[in-house]
Amino acid sequence: MENESRRKFLGVCAAGAAVVAAGGVAYPVFRYLAPKAGETGTEKVVFAETDVPEGEAKFFQYAGSSAVVVRTKAGQLIALSAVCTHLGCIVQWEKDQQDFLCPCHAGRYTPDGTVISGPPPKPLAKLPVAVAEGKITVG
Amino acid sequence: MPLLKRVYDWIDLRIGAREVVKQELTGYLLPRNINEWYSLGSVLLVIFALQVVTGMLLLVYYVPDADKAFKSVSYIMNELPYGWLIRLCHAVGSNMMVAVLFLHMLSTLFMGSYKSPRELNWLTGFTIFALVQAISLTGYLLPWSQLSFWATTVATNSASAIPVIGPYMVEFLRGGKLVGPPTLGRFFALHVAVIPAVIVALIGLHLFVLKRTGISTPPFGAKGEAKTWPGDVYRHESHPGGIPFLPNYALTDLSSISIYFALFLAVVFFAPNLLFTADSFVPANAFKTPAHIKPEWYFLANYQTLKIFPSELLGISIQAAAGTFLALLPFIDRSRERDPFRRPIFLACVIAGILLWFGLTIWGHYS
Ligand code: HEM
Ligand code: FES
Repeated sequence: MENESRRKFLGVCAAGAAVVAAGGVAYPVFRYLAPKAGETGTEKVVFAETDVPEGEAKFFQYAGSSAVVVRTKAGQLIALSAVCTHLGCIVQWEKDQQDFLCPCHAGRYTPDGTVISGPPPKPLAKLPVAVAEGKITVG
Repeated sequence: MPLLKRVYDWIDLRIGAREVVKQELTGYLLPRNINEWYSLGSVLLVIFALQVVTGMLLLVYYVPDADKAFKSVSYIMNELPYGWLIRLCHAVGSNMMVAVLFLHMLSTLFMGSYKSPRELNWLTGFTIFALVQAISLTGYLLPWSQLSFWATTVATNSASAIPVIGPYMVEFLRGGKLVGPPTLGRFFALHVAVIPAVIVALIGLHLFVLKRTGISTPPFGAKGEAKTWPGDVYRHESHPGGIPFLPNYALTDLSSISIYFALFLAVVFFAPNLLFTADSFVPANAFKTPAHIKPEWYFLANYQTLKIFPSELLGISIQAAAGTFLALLPFIDRSRERDPFRRPIFLACVIAGILLWFGLTIWGHYS
């Protein structure tokens, strides 16, 4: 009995030490491999208004992901996430049609992100955009 | 726990796991007078596994491109969380591996376990030893620092003393007349793919051979257990009445591994700069040779030997002869006696050899 409980106690101690050691290895390895914080931050993106003429679109990196600014023929400026809401491909701007086409499964969106046809379940996410002194600021 | 037991039962029912454990672990009997030195092989297995894991982790961020290698290593060391820990474990571990290999070789040498019928244990081991040196040499270049660049220049250069083919061999090894970006490409491939694969295969062979011959009986302690092998038919040296590997010797293995980790982590945490010199922190510059470039400590004896002979060819020939002699030792030394204390000449030679090696190393360090 004495021996039994001693053995059990030692076993628990050894198992505890093993768990602590495993944690001590796993934590640094996790931190080493974890994506850097900050790369997904929300720094504002600024560019010249002349970069986006009427009826055209400009793609850029925003908050660690892809985004697009379009100026419609009517002169309206819209900023959207360029990530298709179906399975995450990046949409393309179709200048002749004046709409967005997702090349993966032919999802179509209007310039303000509303779904026209195809599998996407939701509209493209809108991003805040402002124009001042000839500069476009997204974010 | 009942769940664990049920999973084990389920597996056992299918593949007979308990039978394997009984045959290979609890029923694997070792000589009663076995000693701690026999645990160095297990320590080496652990070190090698750790090198593989830390190497894979380094590969996530290391870039094998002459313009980016140094930067990527600095990034790992200075910016990534715990990158320094992983790099230091890999760098310190490689040095420790060479040191433990020396001890493992010396212990098998001292106890005469290289002798017939264990020539193959020794030969496979010796080949592993050569490959571990090669993997260290190729890995040393990868940080692309002044130290790695010029140490590689010096180390590869010595092969040019070989008559006729030497100079072309060096050029082939470097992928050009001098060490440069092509050298990095081929050393990288050798270091992360070719040599590790060969080492793994050889470790497998080393263990297979060990399993087939059976573990040797130490030549001292309880006498009369060792039976001499007449050499007529294959015989597995088993140890009826010996101590089981599990749990008894596994515990010795574990204590040796713990002692190893204490030493290893002491260097990693308390002497992290032991292996680095100022030139390790400067990116490689092909037009500026730093003063006093030396190879790593385990090559110092070879380096000094090359320096003391008036002709490089002579220096290299002597080393080749010594290496061949050591590799073929089990075929040269054919006496049956394995107890070093009953082989005074052998013992004197081993001690003289060790002293010579230390002498040359220290001389090489200060020269
Ligand atoms: C990565 C390198 C190596 C590993 C992982 C390794 C592993 C092992 C292991 C697990 C054993 C059985 C237990 C023991 O006696 O320690 C062993 C035995 C042995 N090793 Fe190695 N070894 C390596 C390198 C070498 C080298 C470089 C030599 C010598 C040139 C060598 C020579 C031997 C001999 C002769 C035995 C038989 C010992 C006996 O039966 O008494 N090994 N090795
Ligand atoms: S991912 Fe865009 S339509 Fe499927």
